Amino acid sequence: MAMLMKNTLVDLDFPCYSTTTTTTTSTEDDHCCDWSDWSPVVDWDELSGDNNDFHDLIDSMMGDNAVLYHPDSRSSSAISPESVIMDIEDNSSLEDLKGLRLVHLLMAAAEALTGINKSRELARVILVRLKELVCPNDGTNMERLAAYFAEALQGLLDGVGVGGVNGSKRLLTVGFHNYKDDDDHPQADVLAAAFQLLQDMSPYVKFGHFTANQAILEAVGHDRRVHIVDYDIMEGIQWASLMQAMVSRNKDGGPPTPHLRITALSRGGGANSRRSFGTIQETGRRLAAFAASIGQPFSFHHCRLDSDETFRSSSLKLVRGEALIMNCMLHLPHFSYRAPDSIASFLSEAKTLNPRLITLVEEEAGPTGDGGFVAKFMDSLHHYSAVYDSLEAGFPMQGRARALVERVFLGPRIAATVARIYRARGEVDGCSWGEWLSRMGFHPNGISFANHCQAKLLLGLFNDGYRVEELASNKLVLGWKSRRLLSASVWTSLNSDS
Amino acid sequence: MFHPKKATSMNTAHHERPSMCVQGDSGLVLTTDPKPRLRWTVELHERFVDAVTQLGGPDKATPKTIMRVMGVKGLTLYHLKSHLQKFRLGKQPHKEFSDHPIKDGERASSLELQRNTSASSSGMIGRSMNEMQMEVQRRIHEQLEVQRHLQLRIEAQGKYMQTILEKACQTLAGENLSSSSAAYNNINNKGLIGDFNFPSLQDLSIYGGGGGAADQQQQQLQLHHEQQQSDHGFVECLAGGKKRPNPNPYGGGGGGTSKSPLMMWSSADDLRLQELAGTAAATSCLGGSSSSQDDHHHHHQIQIAPHLSLDHRNNNNEHLDSVSSDINYDTKPNMLMAGSSDQHNINAGEKNAGTKLERPSPRRAGSERQMVSAGAGRNSPFG
Repeated sequence: MAMLMKNTLVDLDFPCYSTTTTTTTSTEDDHCCDWSDWSPVVDWDELSGDNNDFHDLIDSMMGDNAVLYHPDSRSSSAISPESVIMDIEDNSSLEDLKGLRLVHLLMAAAEALTGINKSRELARVILVRLKELVCPNDGTNMERLAAYFAEALQGLLDGVGVGGVNGSKRLLTVGFHNYKDDDDHPQADVLAAAFQLLQDMSPYVKFGHFTANQAILEAVGHDRRVHIVDYDIMEGIQWASLMQAMVSRNKDGGPPTPHLRITALSRGGGANSRRSFGTIQETGRRLAAFAASIGQPFSFHHCRLDSDETFRSSSLKLVRGEALIMNCMLHLPHFSYRAPDSIASFLSEAKTLNPRLITLVEEEAGPTGDGGFVAKFMDSLHHYSAVYDSLEAGFPMQGRARALVERVFLGPRIAATVARIYRARGEVDGCSWGEWLSRMGFHPNGISFANHCQAKLLLGLFNDGYRVEELASNKLVLGWKSRRLLSASVWTSLNSDS
Repeated sequence: MFHPKKATSMNTAHHERPSMCVQGDSGLVLTTDPKPRLRWTVELHERFVDAVTQLGGPDKATPKTIMRVMGVKGLTLYHLKSHLQKFRLGKQPHKEFSDHPIKDGERASSLELQRNTSASSSGMIGRSMNEMQMEVQRRIHEQLEVQRHLQLRIEAQGKYMQTILEKACQTLAGENLSSSSAAYNNINNKGLIGDFNFPSLQDLSIYGGGGGAADQQQQQLQLHHEQQQSDHGFVECLAGGKKRPNPNPYGGGGGGTSKSPLMMWSSADDLRLQELAGTAAATSCLGGSSSSQDDHHHHHQIQIAPHLSLDHRNNNNEHLDSVSSDINYDTKPNMLMAGSSDQHNINAGEKNAGTKLERPSPRRAGSERQMVSAGAGRNSPFG
């Protein structure tokens, strides 16, 4: 009888499972559900995700019992987007109150800076008060986050006073320096340590890299030569796994390892010396050494951007017969800010270059309604609070390690983001680069089952709060709980279809 | 109707089983299970059919009357009941046997399979089940491939990251901080990357529905036919053509030792469970700090109780400590339990052996996970 029972149960698994797997292009929700039906790992995730209230209850019971806190009392005073409050709910009630106050202060400051009743003086006063309350290296997530956002607003305030509207570039610089100079300039070792921590704490970096790489691998299945033009190569870590995959593909009896050529775009120094020409060269050497160590035929080039970071395809060396890939990693947490014009110049040149594939990783923005500064500011706050929470969930005890990651990567990112949405005020941008590509006439290139599967497996290695959605046939989105954070999409140009 | 060919290809392990059957004095072939199952040999089935015919057909015959008419010693109502049921529903599933003369054992296993997969259904259902199973196998195979690739990619990324760290470390060394650079190297040797990645990769296996690496499964297959009655299909399929030498220090030589149950394929559940438990309870074990990355790899491949999280955090902490003095230990001290992972292993093994027959399906892992978590929690310093 035991045998019979076992088999019945196993059988029950099949239908559920096979629908998942045979309909890879079904809606993402179905997909998620099926996976979680089948996998206890995701099951658990789903349980905990749905029952936030339950956890909150526990939290509040375990946490401070000094304050009797009623959720309803808050909703009347809640003028900020509910989503932000929702995230704050995760903490205990006392922290909630403070967090809420911080959110309100930030919002008031943002409104004072840009709203109808613009008052820079008021903004200044609010920011002074805010900075008394918080410190970027200490306190709860919301407190640290508020500190960075307050700093970012302060940067705007000061920048506006000095350079006017045209001083946007300057603003940005101010934003970066605020943090990098606080605790000396981040040394290479601190950067490397923070980068390592970031990678270990969260799936963000690997998700972007691996999803793009898998799409590239599938697109160049039988090509002998592959040429990747990388918009922002950073340390080049994305390509280590691609090389490995290309080499092992051959070992597994697949097509021979293609020759890989990478062209990195280099920028002329500036405030961010880390990604300057010298760094690119070092990345090239490192990649070449790595390639040699695993037997991947490889060559490295760089292509200098114009002074305004405009990309010209004419400056690119192209070789006939190479499968051309354009890789555009934009908003990974450790990446620095790139001007939209520069990104647009890179992506629009794809029209003439006609690459086999364009791989794009970018931040997902929430719906911001009219797209005013305050709405975008609050959305950004929500975004980063989700990022902070995800890091905390991964490493609850590692407050200082997280503070390092925050100081080195996220703080500057926040400053840059706030500066960007401040400058974009009045403009009707608000569209993702994916949408932009679509409008430019690029075609979605489907994400394979294997790629989706890989993302799922990758997230399985991290905390339960992460999830991956297939928002479109060519787009995977990584989210933390209900907040979408990062998307990877794959595109192909009009004429590349054979 | 049912295809015996498919059935046998998926169930080869059945008739490879040595000494699974005992020949009763009445010529009955019974399995050695606690609850002996009967093998319906051709002769026996013929006698059964004769009896049924004699009694006026399958609808009129009852197990009791058949038993009386057949008069075979050892044959019980239980056996006849189920065989008659199949006979009624399946309209002589054994008919194919005479079409395809095959060996007795195979015949029996086909029958067995049919009984297993469709206890009370016709061959039609059995067939569609079969197709579904094939589809599932294909997908699982693909997932396992993805999983294997992912592991390699993470390794590659980690290896590359190490070069970045080393470079940063050299920069440091040039700045009169050689002590921390030594610490750096130390960390790197310990496998800053390895410690994190490999163990955690094991919980990937849950998705495959089978034990992580294919070679592991291969081994399990060899060792544990008997416990895996219905799941051969998967294992066969996955392990097929993947015979790699397994450098696994425990499993390699110790197939017959008490540790071997750890390698059973359904231990995948436990892997994840242990991992969960490990993460939650912060059970730490630094025992596996071999210096070469390869060793590390293999070590972790067979490690049933992954202890990554704190282990890894630890390293990072040390690491950070060495890098910038403003980073302090933030964790509570880890309890270093000598051989704690082994202990886990054995626990898992026992659990496994105990629950094996009833619950090899990943679906039921939930309860098992809780059990194991609870078990591991007792060991944990943070319980």
